[in-house]
Amino acid sequence: MSERASGVSGAPEADRPAAILGLGPHGERPASPDRLRLGEAEAATARAAGFTVAVVLHTRQSDWARQHLAGIVATLGRFAVTVLEVVDCAFDAGAQVRALERLVRRRPDAIISLPVSNSGVAEAHRQVSAAGIHLILIDNSPSALRAGTDYACLVSADNFGLGQIGARLLAPCVPHEGMVGVVSYNLDFFVAAQREIAFRKWMADQRPDIRLHTVKFREMEQVGPMVGCCLDDHPGLAGLFVIWDTPAIAVLAELRARGRSLPVTTIDLGTEIAVALAQGDLVRGVGAQQPYDQGVTVATATVATLLGLEVPAWIALPALEVTRERVVSVYQSVWHAPAPETLIRAALG
Amino acid sequence: MAERPIDSERHSLLAVFDLIRTGRAATRLELELASGLGRAVVTDRLATLTQLGLIEEGERRPSMGGRAPRTVRLRADAGGILVANLDRSTLDVGLADLTGRVLFEHHEPADLAAGPEPLLARLHALFDWVLEQQDQQRALWGIGIGVPGAVETPSGPAMTLERLTFAPSWASYPAVEALVARHRAPVWVRSSIQMATMGEFGPPDPARPRDVLFVELGEEISAGIVSEGRLHRGAQGIAGQIGHIPVGEGSDLVCHCGNRGCLETLAASEAVRRAAEAAARDGRSRRLAEAVARGTITVPEIGLAAQLGDAAAAQILARCGRLIGTTLAALTNALNPSSIVLGGELTQTGDILLAAVREAVYRNSHPLATRDLAIVRSTMGRSAALAGAALIAVDELFGPDMLAAWVGRGTPMLHPDLPALIAEAQARLREPAAAAPARPPAPDDRHAAPSRPGRQR
Repeated sequence: MSERASGVSGAPEADRPAAILGLGPHGERPASPDRLRLGEAEAATARAAGFTVAVVLHTRQSDWARQHLAGIVATLGRFAVTVLEVVDCAFDAGAQVRALERLVRRRPDAIISLPVSNSGVAEAHRQVSAAGIHLILIDNSPSALRAGTDYACLVSADNFGLGQIGARLLAPCVPHEGMVGVVSYNLDFFVAAQREIAFRKWMADQRPDIRLHTVKFREMEQVGPMVGCCLDDHPGLAGLFVIWDTPAIAVLAELRARGRSLPVTTIDLGTEIAVALAQGDLVRGVGAQQPYDQGVTVATATVATLLGLEVPAWIALPALEVTRERVVSVYQSVWHAPAPETLIRAALG
Repeated sequence: MAERPIDSERHSLLAVFDLIRTGRAATRLELELASGLGRAVVTDRLATLTQLGLIEEGERRPSMGGRAPRTVRLRADAGGILVANLDRSTLDVGLADLTGRVLFEHHEPADLAAGPEPLLARLHALFDWVLEQQDQQRALWGIGIGVPGAVETPSGPAMTLERLTFAPSWASYPAVEALVARHRAPVWVRSSIQMATMGEFGPPDPARPRDVLFVELGEEISAGIVSEGRLHRGAQGIAGQIGHIPVGEGSDLVCHCGNRGCLETLAASEAVRRAAEAAARDGRSRRLAEAVARGTITVPEIGLAAQLGDAAAAQILARCGRLIGTTLAALTNALNPSSIVLGGELTQTGDILLAAVREAVYRNSHPLATRDLAIVRSTMGRSAALAGAALIAVDELFGPDMLAAWVGRGTPMLHPDLPALIAEAQARLREPAAAAPARPPAPDDRHAAPSRPGRQR
């Protein structure tokens, strides 16, 4: 089944789950990042080769993206790989397609990309490999692409594990036969689908008494109004699970504007959500990714691919469970940085 | 929709539709040439098929001097196909369109040993969720399921309630009946390896090879055979059990089939891991010893060690490849495929195992059988079984007898035999259980206590 996720740097032992719970986009068994080790001989070969890489991200504006990029660039630097360019697509599929087309003409040895949609960007990604440029994917794999042919590997968090954490931390706050709102994303994204399916599975297995009501958004601006309608239609709503932290911030704003106090769980330990978790009034738990360590893994997989090694099709980093008691320590280990003053103050009451 | 009185037209209607669906003709002129029908008849049949909602206009072809011809194509989103695949440790589900293209897929760990009840409850929950996710609501036209064992080749009508005999706990459990009754749609079941084989083979395409051998190299070793474009299932539906071919190495290992020296016991994933652990213990490999020290060694780690120059790991994979290749050589002589597609985790270990397979096949096969033989690696992973389940369901829905029975009504949901199939499924669900007390969960019963685990194959 899934292997033990041991030796992941940057997270206290107590915060680590025993295993990766999910499978890859094509059913791949997870490979743990600490199993992808390059020795000094491989590092020397890479440094002598003088590889070049371009990075195409959904955004550079979020804490997650900044940390992820830091992990990628620092690790590529150790192998003397030059980062030619980092593109911020601003979540726009058209911008990503244009960036990939331009980068193919620039001909780096590899492109690292986080696909911002499914079918809309699949062909542009396929053209990268067709041009003889190695492609390494982050988080999402457009369903038409095949590992080993169209891309070398996919690196992501264990999104199935993250979804289960969201359910496990919310369930104790919900009374028997209560109703929970699931605020999810209305695209067949590997990441979002895995989180929602896992949340539902945990509830079905462990708390079948809880009824689930789904709210699907397409644009971030829709989140507040849609959750507002949900609260109007279901005044007895007993909790909310939000698919990641940015929409969760909109949900918190909606709840506060209405003076409602509902338990919320979400995924990603952004600063605002971490502070809300430390305050303890609405956010009851978070499933955290490890963006810096994931960046390190992405870069290592990229170098291994450039050296002609066959890397696993899906490399997954374990999900971290974050509660109010440990929010500061997990924040530090996830972000490789001291917690901000606002978080410290909220945590210390 | 009232059925059109088209008995006299039926043959030509089916011929025109089949030409369009299989991509052999796409314009009115191509349809006339391929079918031998006159222009007026083709035009009328196209109008009928359009009215029934089965075809739609496609893009225009470049002009050859006159008006640019308009193409027609199957309306892929007229209906949907739910697909699933189950093996010892994984459940795969998805949704496909009427061309067999998988639109959405999801894979999660599952424990077959937990028995049919919790797995079927999980399948119901996932199917319900997948159907809810559709942007455009497609009517459900059929369900294709892959299971981890043989499914007897049916001899009756196209729509039957197939029995799942791959394990005792499933044989006495009305899983297919529960799916038919819940979704009011026909269900077709094949073995996982046969589903994956059809997925690798792909939709009908005159340009593709028609004789293909698909071999899964993982925890088990098995094969699927496509001969002259058709899946070969065998008398009992178990064709392709190549993991149980004795490879004559005098092994003492007893296979779960009861025999000794089966290929599976000597060359599947477990055998590779065992050999790697032995090499680590004996001090033959520092890399493998380090991997063992970090925890249970995995096949990808053994592959990486071999790629990084570890001689012991390379030797293990080469020996495994030779055993597999020698077996495949015998099959190459017997079946004369034009290509062998290798899938499963052992193929993800780099080039050493694959090279050993190729060498053994070419060395031990009849020269003529390998003249144009391609030995390639699968790129589909577990998605292949879902793609195959969709293609098999589509093939059944559009099979000549089946299609003739419903085409005049525009949808297989109005097939005259479907109500009887649903009624039979419902009646069987009401029967007291023959053996185990396990019953399918009611639609609102989202989880159930696992039944007793059993050894599965």
